[in-house]
Amino acid sequence: MGPLTFAPALHAEWIKIRTLRSQIGALAAVPLATVAFSALAGLGNGDDDALFSAFFGVTFGQIAAIAFGTTAVSAEFQTGALRLSLAAVPRRGRWFAAKLTAIGLPVFAVGLVTGLTALTAGAATSGPHAHRAPPAEWLRGTTGCAVYLTLMALLAAGLTAVLRSGVGALSILVPFLLLVSFVVGDVNGGAAGLLPDRAGQVVLHSTWDGVPGPWTGLAVTALWTAAAVAAGAWRVRVRDA
Amino acid sequence: MTSIDVHELTKEYGPRRAVDRITFQVLPGRVTGFLGPNGAGKSTTLRLLLGLDRPTSGAATLAGRPYVTLTDPLRHVGALLDAQAAHGSRTGRDHLLALAASNRLPVRRVDQVLEEAGLAPAARRRVRTYSLGMRQRLGIAAALLGDPAVVLLDEPANGLDPEGIVWIRGLLRRLAGEGRTVLVSSHLMNETASFADHLVVLGRGRLLADTALRDFIDARVHPGVRIRTTDPTALKNVLARHGHDPVHHPDGHWTVRHTRVDDIGPLVSAAGVPLLELSAQEGTLEQAYLALTAADAEFASRPHEEV
Repeated sequence: MGPLTFAPALHAEWIKIRTLRSQIGALAAVPLATVAFSALAGLGNGDDDALFSAFFGVTFGQIAAIAFGTTAVSAEFQTGALRLSLAAVPRRGRWFAAKLTAIGLPVFAVGLVTGLTALTAGAATSGPHAHRAPPAEWLRGTTGCAVYLTLMALLAAGLTAVLRSGVGALSILVPFLLLVSFVVGDVNGGAAGLLPDRAGQVVLHSTWDGVPGPWTGLAVTALWTAAAVAAGAWRVRVRDA
Repeated sequence: MTSIDVHELTKEYGPRRAVDRITFQVLPGRVTGFLGPNGAGKSTTLRLLLGLDRPTSGAATLAGRPYVTLTDPLRHVGALLDAQAAHGSRTGRDHLLALAASNRLPVRRVDQVLEEAGLAPAARRRVRTYSLGMRQRLGIAAALLGDPAVVLLDEPANGLDPEGIVWIRGLLRRLAGEGRTVLVSSHLMNETASFADHLVVLGRGRLLADTALRDFIDARVHPGVRIRTTDPTALKNVLARHGHDPVHHPDGHWTVRHTRVDDIGPLVSAAGVPLLELSAQEGTLEQAYLALTAADAEFASRPHEEV
């Protein structure tokens, strides 16, 4: 698949995203939800981890990123839309790769903005005696936030392609992220730390204990995402459209 | 020259055979009507042609190539499968812009086809505000986007108002006149008769006919003559003398089957029968189609019999 044939497919998928208000709205909601919920948590003097006190809201910001990835794919499963898309780009692998790229790139950009905004807001609202995150943590937190949100959006996109349903994907992911992971995640150590959100959010902390670390954690999330994307790609390839 | 070649095409969904070893060719320069009742396999055949469904066996090619091997396929083949395919929250123009980008077509083409489909005033409105007829026009605009040599339209007249139906008829004739290959599926007989030159007829997944429209009708429906007179006795006498058997209808007119105006006119005129009406009754596509499917139903009701 050369760049000459991939670029038009990517261009088309990007047009589809930018011409839907709901998609732009979901992207805008990522930093808004993250910063707002971090600020709320800060009022209650929530987390004593210097970095994560700014990133507490990512739990909610990621819901917007997931909604973005889900709806970008689920729109194709409405009446006849996928047939039209695949008639225009009959190489299904190419089409799905273009779709995922058009989801991943804007989420990554928005993730960088989210990371910087959350850290800036966190620094501005924390008291004068609070522990300040050093520049290296800022850099790690910002890139980590962008990578993490991108992986979660792609995980959602892959799952949506597997289930051929946005409602199905969201009804698995949202309760999982907001309830199950919270409950299970408080049980320290063990397999719970390898859940996609738990592992991926280590990078948003100043300190962590044991395995996985910040980057290995993101790698664990990337494995989950790769599995979902591979399953989704397989479903797109083998099914009659 | 781009023809569509369907060879021994078969598609099974579980135990059900939606398309059963059909073979036919669609040639350029004419409109081919693709007929059959709902569920006959027309839409499945179109999806197989576009590589959207995979055949169980057999092949469908465009100019000798499978659809999925075409580079920028919209430049070769334009298809309308489902008028509901456009996202309701997107504008008609944005919908076409995405399609155009995927096949490296210039933005100018988007505005041209919107104009051609009569959608220019609604181009920047969201598709959900469109009527069914407007969505149909948007789907046809999408099919024309790449100026393709092959045009496949599934039930294009669905939801169109009378003006729209006249428009699509003219459009199909024009596309064929420009030398394009035009395949139009429909279950509406009179509509199909108004634009088709050639017919491919499916029934329960099998090919029932592949023939010129005129031949299709003439082979199955015999022409007749319709007569109204103030003197039925004189009419019956003169026709009986020449071996015709006129049939009386409750509303007062008579028909003579298997004959033509050119034969009957001079007879009744010479006999001095007072005439109120003398007209030719051409067979219609609907009659011919029903005659065909009745024969097919009879055939199908005898099981265990191979072709």
